[in-house]
Amino acid sequence: MSVASSVKIEQDDSVWRSARRFLSFRNISAIYIWIAMVILFSVLAPETFPTVDTIRIVLTDQAVTAVLAVGLVVPLAAGAFDLSIGSQLGLGAILVAWFLRNQELGVVPAIVASLAIGACVGLANGLLITKARISSFITTLGMSSVLLAVISWISKDAQILNLGSAFQQVANRQILSIPLSVYIMIVLAVCVWWVLDNTYMGRAVYATGGNADAARLAGIRTHAVVVMSLVSCSVLAAVAGILLSSSLATGDPTVGPAYMLPAFAAAFLGSTQFRNGRFNVLGTVVAVYVLATGVKGLQLIGAPVWIPELFNGVALLIAVAVTRRQGSSKRSRTPAPKRVAVGTAA
Amino acid sequence: MTGERGRALVRVEGLTKTFGPTAALAGVDLTIHAGEVVAVVGHNGSGKSTLVKVLAGLHSLDAGQVVAGATELRFIHQDLGLVGSLSTVENLALGIGGRPWRRLRKADERREARELVRRFGVEVDVDAPIEGLSPAERTIVAIARALRGWDDRREVVLVLDEPTASLHGAEVDQLMAVVRRVADHGAGVLFISHRLDEVLDVADTIVALRNGRVVGDLPRDDADYKLLVELVAGQAVEDLERGSGDRGEPVLEVRDLAGGGIRQLGVTVHAGEVVGLAGILGSGRDEVCAAVFGGSVRTAGVITVGGREISDIRDSIRSGVAFVPGDRHRHGAVMSMTAVENLVSVLVPGTASLWRRVRRGQEMREATEWFKACGVLPARPQMELTQFSGGNQQKVVLAKWLRTKPKVLLLEEPTQGVDIGARAAIHGLVMEAAREGAAVLVASSETKELAQLCDRVLVLAGGVVVDELSGADLTESQILHASVPAQAVTEPSAPTRGSHLYDVMPS
Repeated sequence: MSVASSVKIEQDDSVWRSARRFLSFRNISAIYIWIAMVILFSVLAPETFPTVDTIRIVLTDQAVTAVLAVGLVVPLAAGAFDLSIGSQLGLGAILVAWFLRNQELGVVPAIVASLAIGACVGLANGLLITKARISSFITTLGMSSVLLAVISWISKDAQILNLGSAFQQVANRQILSIPLSVYIMIVLAVCVWWVLDNTYMGRAVYATGGNADAARLAGIRTHAVVVMSLVSCSVLAAVAGILLSSSLATGDPTVGPAYMLPAFAAAFLGSTQFRNGRFNVLGTVVAVYVLATGVKGLQLIGAPVWIPELFNGVALLIAVAVTRRQGSSKRSRTPAPKRVAVGTAA
Repeated sequence: MTGERGRALVRVEGLTKTFGPTAALAGVDLTIHAGEVVAVVGHNGSGKSTLVKVLAGLHSLDAGQVVAGATELRFIHQDLGLVGSLSTVENLALGIGGRPWRRLRKADERREARELVRRFGVEVDVDAPIEGLSPAERTIVAIARALRGWDDRREVVLVLDEPTASLHGAEVDQLMAVVRRVADHGAGVLFISHRLDEVLDVADTIVALRNGRVVGDLPRDDADYKLLVELVAGQAVEDLERGSGDRGEPVLEVRDLAGGGIRQLGVTVHAGEVVGLAGILGSGRDEVCAAVFGGSVRTAGVITVGGREISDIRDSIRSGVAFVPGDRHRHGAVMSMTAVENLVSVLVPGTASLWRRVRRGQEMREATEWFKACGVLPARPQMELTQFSGGNQQKVVLAKWLRTKPKVLLLEEPTQGVDIGARAAIHGLVMEAAREGAAVLVASSETKELAQLCDRVLVLAGGVVVDELSGADLTESQILHASVPAQAVTEPSAPTRGSHLYDVMPS
């Protein structure tokens, strides 16, 4: 073809340039903000902030949020919201406690049963969205309320205590003085990252989120993708709930909803990192810990108790605003309207 | 019809606008007088829409001037700019000044709206939501809104950009009457259209554009349909080297297809053959490819590829069918993903596991080759698809399907909104696919494209095939003539007024 000869493919992927692109503020702003915060709080609270204990506490505290946020990345990438993740976490937390204490199941059966029920919730969400054609927003908002009712019903609004030391070990067992929950989080994050970033399954998920019609016409089973994304999110939310009950040694019926906002903040903040506006696992995990570092630092310098809520809320809003701006600046705009020359009347 | 001309309201002199190397407008002159309807006709890419945008001030000029004096230009763009969920009254009141918290004078507004609409000789329910009105009524409401506040003291030129693109038969007449009435009240009207018949009905002066130049500026009475076709299309329609025409085995067989606007359709496409689908808007032309592919609902019909019956999209892809939709933004590609990701996004079911690892290096090498073969620029496959121009996006969408080595290639408006260079490249790719043995079915509103590409063309009207053209009969004008619905020919009308619908350009 004649057109072909004149085309030269730009080889701009030299190591230096890709490294520069990777390290640009735009790409990894959260990392720079993280470093700045660490320096700031180390100066302001030199006794308490830059310590091994702080690192361990932040790492451990946030494992549950990180698992939840990583799970949330999947439906968001597929173009579906899941507003029921907080309640699903709560359901997982209370169910495992209920199975252990009230049904006297062993640790493994209790966990498996909780996960299975979590998966069913995700399946219900997915089918409502794809078959009943209710928007994911409404579906999961409704589901969230239903799950809170279920939690209240099975727990009779009371904590379930004494879950046994074997179950506590699930989250708390120390390996190299870091609890197991952190390792579980890392393994799950790597699994989700692998699927989303390195398989054609992941491509199908992003394509469905980007343009479901085009994805369908390219042979992707978009309904199956949406259902599967919600199921995996629900399973991870159940895992987060189980880890939470295990680390608290208590099934608490009120814990769930508070986790939703940090997870959304992290997922949206994470989408501004590394992958140019795309929801991604690495960015999300980093974002969880950046937010947690900020909150922890503020607490250590004596900020009031309402600071975490404020911090997470503001972070979510800023993250979404930044994503929007990245999106709009990429599109080429039509030239600004300009009046035509108007001469004298004919 | 052509009364005495009023004063010249707007004069356009030597208007020139270039985009990169191509001149969209090259020295365009035209004058709009009071009480006159000036129609601008031309092919896709002739410069019609650029002219409107320049007049609206959306594009700056490279040369020339628009002399408007005190005359106000008022625009009706194709999308009309009405709020569908609001009533006519509310739409007409939108944008009127006044303090936001002032009380609405609803009774007055309703009375004014009714008078305004009645002035144009139509009766609409001014309280019903706009979306419930017919397209013609909506256009009339838009005109009423544009002419709000117009009285004898002001000089107004109404610019209508393809107002009839989505209208049919009687609706067109209804709108034309309104346009005529507006001109009779003393306004100038600039009427942009690609339907030559309606232009002949309403215009006083007809300006034909081709490749950004005025190729004809003549009073209505000097023009007839045939002359306009010649002006618009140009005398010399260059001939593309066609395929050898050697038919291979039948590959795609469609029997008794029905669904949507298709009533009954059968076609057999052989290996190496390019079959075109022509017809006016609403003839079912635009729906055939999607229905064959399984992308839209079929109510009846059997589709076989290589003797094997196919039922749904995945089945089609598995059997080697490729489908390039007409609307690439909505159906063709995921604009927010990179070009390379789009290129490799079709996975033939059954041949590749979804859980397979993505090999980025290999993908990039493959994308580089495709970019070279298709001439996609800039040659950066890792760029997001939105950042490419329309023509290059279309090449990527085509390449994404050619990559699957299709046995059947279904194309819908393959060169819509694409510049001339990209158009030639896309045609070349389609020809090459056909030479390599693909059966190609191409639906297009551009008769020129069909005449160039196809070995034979099926002409659709009312959801059925009404004619088949091939060999020496396969010319642009033959396709045009055959596309006209039978009843339009028999309709009583003055013989000089071509009653043929000239609907070759997409809206």
